Amino acid sequence: MVALVPTLLRQELARLAESGARLDGRGQWEARDIVLETDCLYNGEGSAKVVWGDTIIYAGVKFEMRTPWPDRPNQGSLMCSAELRPIAGRKYEPGPPSPESIELGRVVDRGIRESGCIDMEKLCIVPGEKVWGVMIDIHVLSDQGNMFDACALAAIAALRTAIVPAERFDVGEDYTLKVKSTPIMASFTRVGGRYVFDPSAEEELGGDERIHITLGDEGHLHSLQKGLKGVFTPEEFAEIFDVAQSRCVDLRKLVANQEGN
Amino acid sequence: MGGYGDVKLLREDGLRLDGRKIDEMRPIEIEAGILPGADGSAWVKHGLNIAVAAVYGPMEAHPRKIQRQDRCVIDVRYNMAPFSTSDRIRPGYNRRSREISKVTSEALESVVICERYPRSKIRVEIEILSAEAGTRCVGITAASVALADAGIPMRDLLVGVASGKVEDIVVLDLDKAEDNYGQADLPVGILPNTGEIAFLQMDGDLSPDEFNLAMEYNFKAAAEIHEIMVDALKRRYEGGEN
Amino acid sequence: MSQGQIGAELRLVTPGMAIGPLSGKRVGSGALAQNEQIIATRLGWVREMNDTVSVDPINAAYMPRSGDLIIATVAEVRNNLWFMDINGPFQGLLPMSLAPWKVEFGAARQHMGVGDSVMARVQEVDECHNVVLTMKGVGLRRINEGSILSVPVNHVERIRGNNNETLLRLREICDCRIMVGDNGRVLVDGSPEGISWARSAIKLAGNSGHKQTFSADLSALEKSAPKRGDA
Repeated sequence: MVALVPTLLRQELARLAESGARLDGRGQWEARDIVLETDCLYNGEGSAKVVWGDTIIYAGVKFEMRTPWPDRPNQGSLMCSAELRPIAGRKYEPGPPSPESIELGRVVDRGIRESGCIDMEKLCIVPGEKVWGVMIDIHVLSDQGNMFDACALAAIAALRTAIVPAERFDVGEDYTLKVKSTPIMASFTRVGGRYVFDPSAEEELGGDERIHITLGDEGHLHSLQKGLKGVFTPEEFAEIFDVAQSRCVDLRKLVANQEGN
Repeated sequence: MGGYGDVKLLREDGLRLDGRKIDEMRPIEIEAGILPGADGSAWVKHGLNIAVAAVYGPMEAHPRKIQRQDRCVIDVRYNMAPFSTSDRIRPGYNRRSREISKVTSEALESVVICERYPRSKIRVEIEILSAEAGTRCVGITAASVALADAGIPMRDLLVGVASGKVEDIVVLDLDKAEDNYGQADLPVGILPNTGEIAFLQMDGDLSPDEFNLAMEYNFKAAAEIHEIMVDALKRRYEGGEN
Repeated sequence: MSQGQIGAELRLVTPGMAIGPLSGKRVGSGALAQNEQIIATRLGWVREMNDTVSVDPINAAYMPRSGDLIIATVAEVRNNLWFMDINGPFQGLLPMSLAPWKVEFGAARQHMGVGDSVMARVQEVDECHNVVLTMKGVGLRRINEGSILSVPVNHVERIRGNNNETLLRLREICDCRIMVGDNGRVLVDGSPEGISWARSAIKLAGNSGHKQTFSADLSALEKSAPKRGDA
């Protein structure tokens, strides 16, 4: 179902942008309230729930034992996928995974994978025979804007709490999965002609293209994705790249605080 | 039902492995209206089961061929999240969830006053986030709270509850071990005010007397769960009007 | 089993709950009669008026009735008609003949395109939910300026208040034009500061417009209102 974009909404967003204002009174780079909870599901080996404004995401980590790929006999694997099921909102329809949900899963996957936060060789149990496959599943319960950042946050927070279920698979004692860093995604959407951080559902409805930036602990880029119709200039990118640095530091603190508890 | 025999499910003192009496339910918590974007929603925790249900609609039924000129259709999707069980569930087409969705939809159509919305569709999405036996019943309970929250007219609420048999004893509300190693499972959907039944499944082995006892337990539990459902709906709105 | 008693002032009931004995009373909306009892069919507040017992639902989808004043948005344009999103289960149909302009066949798009919003009235609803809209009438027009807010349909009356007093007060404070559609859409037009204040005030009116504390709450919010003539 294609959402109907009211002309008046586009007009109002453009007018607000001129005076640097937003529909809900936030600043251009200001996020809504974010609540992160970990270890909130009984059957996930690691789990997290993110309530970001009115957007609600669950992520769960599962392990499976498998034979390694022939060309990488001493490496395990990591896979992150997202399910954008019709519970997430009025516009989502049942059916096979939509291009949107595949994009969502793959963008989050790349950020985590390419950051190198998981040492694939540490996932090897018996070289050439048995390795761990780590699966992060993201479940979107409510999409009310900026779903990508919320999903990425839930995924890394869940992964960082994961316990390897070695006992259940008869290969020694359970232990905490070693995750070396905390890759974080910050996304920007063009609303009323300029970029904002953390768009609400209404801003997304009346907005244009978006850019997803995933940064590692040192502020290095690990994944980028431009989505939806629209173009941007290098200068615009330079500005949001800069903002992304500080937003990612804030979000990383949120994950660290949760672990400190 | 799973294997029989060598797994002990009842303790020497007659209580169950988790300390419950044979006619005792697992604890239940319900919250209504937890999804801001849905027309109605509910969160139900029953033992270690967690189900979330959302209602969207009524809306025009698409495609046209599913439209009924005299009433609405209730389009239920029951789904287990990949991380809801100890072994990951592969997302996608699944015969079990299709069947549960079908019978749940028909059960809900029996309590919703469907004639009120000709040619319409009401979408009911049930997501199981954590599973510990009895998820279809938890899903029914969650769906019915979400429908009430959405303001959909219904003859009654619908309560999902199950009893079963372990070690030749009829017990209320099977947990995971009892479900895996027990001898029978009897999940039903009960209209607590009228005493009617809108959902019924069973597998295993029950004598007529055992069936009657299991149903007696189910009705008793349905009344208890109903109070928790009503309380959840009232908590969301009470104090609002004066 | 939860069984409410008749007599309590405002009672919240859930579907299936007995409201009280039928004993000659009439059954209104949101309720049905069964075995000499009145049973609630919706989550809402019991209302008893002129011997009729009904339930005012807390949540409800917008169900159009003929005569309703609504704010609608064009979803689809054909040669000689517009399909409008009216915030209900079904789209409304605005035929060329009921538009305020003289429209040539095939020229509908020149007057209104997808995404444009209008003030319209519901002309007719049949039992199959086919909805016909009209824009012929006083105040019915295309909306070119302003902001459209969404409120739950059951909050519409609260935002208007008794004899429109809440609505008049809101208009007065923020110096904006405010039109409340029966379909839960509210048009606000004025200065950006005024619109932004109206947004929070309408939210407040929706949530607590029926409470005794509302007047005080609105006065508190009034302090943050833009001064007249500022903008």
